[in-house]
Amino acid sequence: MSSSPDKNYRFEQAGASDDSIQQAHAQLQKQKPDKANGYSFLPLGILGLMCSSVFFGSIYLAHYSVRFDPLVTNEHAKREKPGAVVAAAATPAQLGKKVFTSICATCHQLTGQGVPGAFPPLAGSEWVQGSEERIIRIVLHGLNGPITVEGKEFNNAMASLGGVLKDEQIANVLTYVRQEWGNKAPEVKAETVARIRGEVGNHPAPWTAAELLKIGQ
Amino acid sequence: MNSTNPNDRAEQAEIDASAKWPVLVFFGSAILWLLLGGALQLIASIQLHTPDFLAACPWTTHGRIAPAAQNALVYGWGMNAAFAFGLWLMARLSCTTLRHGGWLFIAAKFWNVGVTLGVLGILGGYSTSFELLEMPRFVTLILLAAYALIGVWGVTTFGIRNTENVYASQWYLFGAAFWFPWLYAIAQIMLFKAPVRGVLQPIVNAWFVHGLYGLWFIPMALAAAYYFLPKILGKPIANYYLAPLAFWWLVGTTAFAGGSRLIGAPVPIWISTLGGAANFLLVVPVVVIALNLFGTLSGRYGALGNSVTLRFILISMVGFVLASAMNFALSIRGFAQVVQFTLLTDLRDWLIFYACFSTAMFGAAYFILPRLTGKEWRSSALVKAHIGTAALGVLLLTVGLAYAGWQQGHLLNDAAVKFGDITQALTFWFTFRSVGLGLLLVGHIAFLINFVWIACPFSSKGTASVEFAPPPTLNFSKKSATEGHA
Repeated sequence: MSSSPDKNYRFEQAGASDDSIQQAHAQLQKQKPDKANGYSFLPLGILGLMCSSVFFGSIYLAHYSVRFDPLVTNEHAKREKPGAVVAAAATPAQLGKKVFTSICATCHQLTGQGVPGAFPPLAGSEWVQGSEERIIRIVLHGLNGPITVEGKEFNNAMASLGGVLKDEQIANVLTYVRQEWGNKAPEVKAETVARIRGEVGNHPAPWTAAELLKIGQ
Repeated sequence: MNSTNPNDRAEQAEIDASAKWPVLVFFGSAILWLLLGGALQLIASIQLHTPDFLAACPWTTHGRIAPAAQNALVYGWGMNAAFAFGLWLMARLSCTTLRHGGWLFIAAKFWNVGVTLGVLGILGGYSTSFELLEMPRFVTLILLAAYALIGVWGVTTFGIRNTENVYASQWYLFGAAFWFPWLYAIAQIMLFKAPVRGVLQPIVNAWFVHGLYGLWFIPMALAAAYYFLPKILGKPIANYYLAPLAFWWLVGTTAFAGGSRLIGAPVPIWISTLGGAANFLLVVPVVVIALNLFGTLSGRYGALGNSVTLRFILISMVGFVLASAMNFALSIRGFAQVVQFTLLTDLRDWLIFYACFSTAMFGAAYFILPRLTGKEWRSSALVKAHIGTAALGVLLLTVGLAYAGWQQGHLLNDAAVKFGDITQALTFWFTFRSVGLGLLLVGHIAFLINFVWIACPFSSKGTASVEFAPPPTLNFSKKSATEGHA
């Protein structure tokens, strides 16, 4: 090709004409590589590379874009939307408060103080904070006749609520009154209510204080 | 369309003749800017280890010299060289003459007047604060108008092509002809004409800088590599059927990658994340392009010894892979945390602009200019000096600056080390960079001397003429592709 070694530095020889480059490549563009043994690694390898780069690229983008929030400049920021209200599970006492205000508060009052001489108080009551066996029965089947609460006599009737309230509602409302207004007694489980409802069975008449005092001593 | 047909040969000579003066003017201006920009860059680099150097005059302080050097190199050398190469290759591959050379002259004048005013404006203290957009505002209109005249001929030449088929190099040239004005005009409007506010400004700036490198300079380098490998080796591109995929994937993702420059900046986090993801996706086209280019070269490395152009193209290909790897690495947050704001981030842009783009243009010039002028390069010693300094310079600066940047990053992250001590500790590496840039400048001077001997009407009289034999037809059957070509 060259007469002297320096000839190569003087000018460049072309190895192909422009026409033939275009024609050859136009054909090659449509042509996949020869499949030796009926299998070609390259197209599959490139496909794999494409898929994995898109896959990991998307994960990276989704993970570090932090909701595309214009105000977030730190990739470790919290991913929840600011101000989003997360539905927190209500405690049994909170659920019980609803039952209390709609049903019980009529007589026992929102303050749990009752009405002197008519309806006994729940706040500080030894009955409320005492055996859960008794108060579950009172709510389930009602109470009739004289009862002493916090040293004061009451003589009135409380309706049976076992038909109106489900076991869970009874447990919730009892848990509420046992933990509100300074009361400190353990919560009442729905299973306990269900057990007592089953044990007692049909109890057409309301309980009396005397009956109850024999139970759960 | 058999190229041994004498008509075709005559036509090719006609194309070269029509492109001769516009291309020579663009290349000539480019080389002058390359030297001037290189000298400014060297001064700026020297000032980092010898702070007193030229510090007395406000025009030569580091804050003005450094952006002036960058703009002179990018808009002076880079754009002019890309115009010269792009117009010639577009005419050749479209098999049509380059029309309206007179308009291209005027456009070249306007472009270079614009860049001159811009660089003087920066040195005179009228620069803006945006990277690669530092030139005073009035220059923008001159540049855009000049570009419109240049770009329109590139596109028209493609439009009136006499060929049935379109080759990979043309995709990149045609695309880049539209991407530059798009990037430049949008950046100008969003930063100066109707400026966006606050945090959006650095985002637009990063998008522009990344786009200019990734959608103008890299496509130019790829157009050169895709053309010169089969042209000189007489062998088709390996796995060419994958090239369209690489093209679309590359242009589709590069436009989103700019945000990766803003890692750690107080911008919405999704912008830098999107940039990182885009740089991650760019692995696909880089692998495909590397398969195309290195696959073509494989088995023919012996041909490198016979071709200066191929050797420059090889440096450019290696530069492309390294620059892409660096872009990818700098998108990784842990890595960016160490090396951001060090010599290593400078290295990323330098790899794209010099190691990938500029070397491709050198290779193209060594191929094109003897064909345009009908003369050979007078001094082979100067050619050897150019390729030698370029290869050595790229190697030394890449390895040296990568190591130095890593070290600098660790020192900067150590709160116990004083900032002054870090500068002191890096004096060796700043000096090292000055030596490397000086070495490259020597090669550029050798290039200029040879260019004057081949292109300047007065001084080229003593240069020997050269006749080119008609090139053979490209064979692409399996058997003939493995044979050597004379």
